[in-house]
Amino acid sequence: MTSQRDVFIGELFKCAKKDKDIFLLSVDMGASSLDQWREELPNQFFAAGISEQNAINFAAGMASAGKKVYIYFMAVWAARCFEQIRYSCAMGENPITILGNGVGLAYAPAGPAHNPTEDIAYMRSLCGIEIYSPSNNSMVKSLVELTYKEPKLRYIRLERKQAAEMQNAYPSWKFNANSIKSGLETVKPGLFEPRHPTKPKICILSSGYMMGRASEVWQRLISNKHQVSLVDLWKIKPIDLSIFKSTVEEYDVLITIEEQTLSGGFGSAILEALSDVGLKKNVLRIGLPERYIFENGDRDHHLDNNGLSVDSIYEKILLILSNKI
Amino acid sequence: MNNQKLKKIAKSVRKRIFQFKTKSRFGHLASCLSTVDLLVSLYLDDETNFDHKNDILIFSKGHGAPAVYPILSDLEYFPEKELDLYCTPNGILRLHSDSTIPGCFFVGGSLGNGIGYAAGLAYGSEKKVFVILGDAELYEGSVWETLLFISHHNINNIQLIIDRNGLGILGKTEELLKLEPLEDKFKSFGFDVATVDGHDFEALRSVFSHSSSTRPQVVIANTIKGKGVSYMEDVWQYHTIIPKEKEDLEKALEELS
Repeated sequence: MTSQRDVFIGELFKCAKKDKDIFLLSVDMGASSLDQWREELPNQFFAAGISEQNAINFAAGMASAGKKVYIYFMAVWAARCFEQIRYSCAMGENPITILGNGVGLAYAPAGPAHNPTEDIAYMRSLCGIEIYSPSNNSMVKSLVELTYKEPKLRYIRLERKQAAEMQNAYPSWKFNANSIKSGLETVKPGLFEPRHPTKPKICILSSGYMMGRASEVWQRLISNKHQVSLVDLWKIKPIDLSIFKSTVEEYDVLITIEEQTLSGGFGSAILEALSDVGLKKNVLRIGLPERYIFENGDRDHHLDNNGLSVDSIYEKILLILSNKI
Repeated sequence: MNNQKLKKIAKSVRKRIFQFKTKSRFGHLASCLSTVDLLVSLYLDDETNFDHKNDILIFSKGHGAPAVYPILSDLEYFPEKELDLYCTPNGILRLHSDSTIPGCFFVGGSLGNGIGYAAGLAYGSEKKVFVILGDAELYEGSVWETLLFISHHNINNIQLIIDRNGLGILGKTEELLKLEPLEDKFKSFGFDVATVDGHDFEALRSVFSHSSSTRPQVVIANTIKGKGVSYMEDVWQYHTIIPKEKEDLEKALEELS
C-alpha cells in the first residue's frame, strides 16, 4: 500500500510540474516519491539539512514572496522548531504546509524521542493553524488540492503505516468543498431504526491510524447489539462547530480514541468543542498513559500494551456504559 | 549627502529615540543608539546601495528596530507625532517593529530568526534584502543554520550587517562567551566579509556602495552601545536601564542637541 507521504508528494509533484512557484523542502528525509521530484524538478527542491529552524524560517520568507512552500520532516521535529512555526509562520502570517511524517507511535522501535505523542496538543495551541489527520489516501489527495489552491499555515499529520481497515472505508468519498470544510465523517452509522429507547447511543470519535482499531471496536459493539456510530474527525483544528454539534448531539456517550497522551490532545479538543456548542455529554477519553515508552516493540505492540488494544478499549467502553468509570 | 549632514541627522535621530524611549520607558535604548549610523547611512546617504522604496530591511535584531522610526517619520511613512505616541494605546509604533508599521517588514522580538526569513524572502522575491543582526544574537544556533544555507545556495541578494557593539545583557561578549575571531568564522562559511567602524559614514559608504562580489556578503560594523550619550556608552548595564534622573536626562539631551 502506498504510504500517505508518497501519495501526498506524488500528487503535489503533478502540480509542481505545472507551477514553478511550488517548492518542497526536505529536512533530511528521503522518500521514494522524492526521487522523481529531485530528478525532474531540482530547482523546486531544497535539501534543508538537519536544520529545522532555518527550514521553517526560510520557508516563511519564501511564502511571503508568494511561493507555495511545503516542508517535509519527521512529525516529531515540529516540536524542535515550534518557536519558528509560531513566530515566522503563525505570527508573521506566512502560509506554509508542514508535512509531519510518522505521527503517534509510528517510529516505535526508535524510542520516544522519535515518537510525537503530544503533537496535537502543542500544535493546536498555535493561532490560526489548521491541523489534519487523514486516515486514507482519498483524504490525502484532497489535502494536496486544498493546500495548493488555498495556502495557509497547515500541519498535515501523515501516517507512516495506514490502518488497513480504513483504506477502503469510504469507497464513495471524494474531495469536495463541504468534506474539507466539515473535516468529519460518520464512517459507520450505527443507530437503530427506530432508536432503541433504553440503550445509550454511543459515538466513537477518532482519527488517523487509530481509526483502524476504532473500527474494530465499533464492529464488536455492534455485534453485541449496542447503538454505536463511528466518526472520523480528521480536521482536528479548527473543528467546524456547527457540523460537530449536529453530528454528536443525538448521542448520549462520546468515546474519543487517540494515539496521544491525554493532556490537551484529541479528546481535549472534543471536550472544548462540546463546551463551545453548549452540549453536556458523558465523555470517555482513551489515549496513551502519561509517560514515555522505553520498552522495545513495534507500534501495535506498544498500543496493545498501553491501553489501546481493541480488547482494552472495548472493556473501557463497557465500564462507562455500566457507570463504573 | 556629505558626512557632516549625515552626522547632524544621526544626532537628531538619536535625540528623538532618546526622547520617546525615556518618555515611554519601554525598550532597549542603548541597543538602538548603536544602530543609528548604520541606518542613516543606508536610508539617507544617496551613495549607499539601499533603496528604501524598493529594497527590504529586516531587523533580525528586533529590539533595535525603533532606531529606524525617526528616519521613517522623516521619510513620511507616518507622521512625526507617532514618535510621541510610541508604545501608547493610541500609537502605531511598538518596541519591536512588525509589518503593520509603514516601512517595516516581518515581526521582531525573537532573535536568530529574521535572518532565515530574510534568506527565504531574498531567494523567493529576488529583491535586495538587508538584515541587521545583533552580535549577541549570533549565539543563536539558527543563525548558523541559515549562514550555511545562504552560502550553499549563494544567495547574494542578501546583505548581512552585524551590529558589533560587543555587549550582551550581562556584559562583554568576549568575556561572557567568545564570538571572535568573528571575521574568520564568516569567511569559513563562504562569505565575503568587511569590518568597518559602524559610526564612520565614509567607511560605511565604502562597504554599502556597489560591489562586484558574487558571494554573499556580511559587514561587521563595530559600534558603541549607547552611542551619543557619554555616560551610557559601552556600559553593559544600560541594556536594560533607561535614564530617568533629571540631570541624566538633561545631560543626554544636551549631548544630543
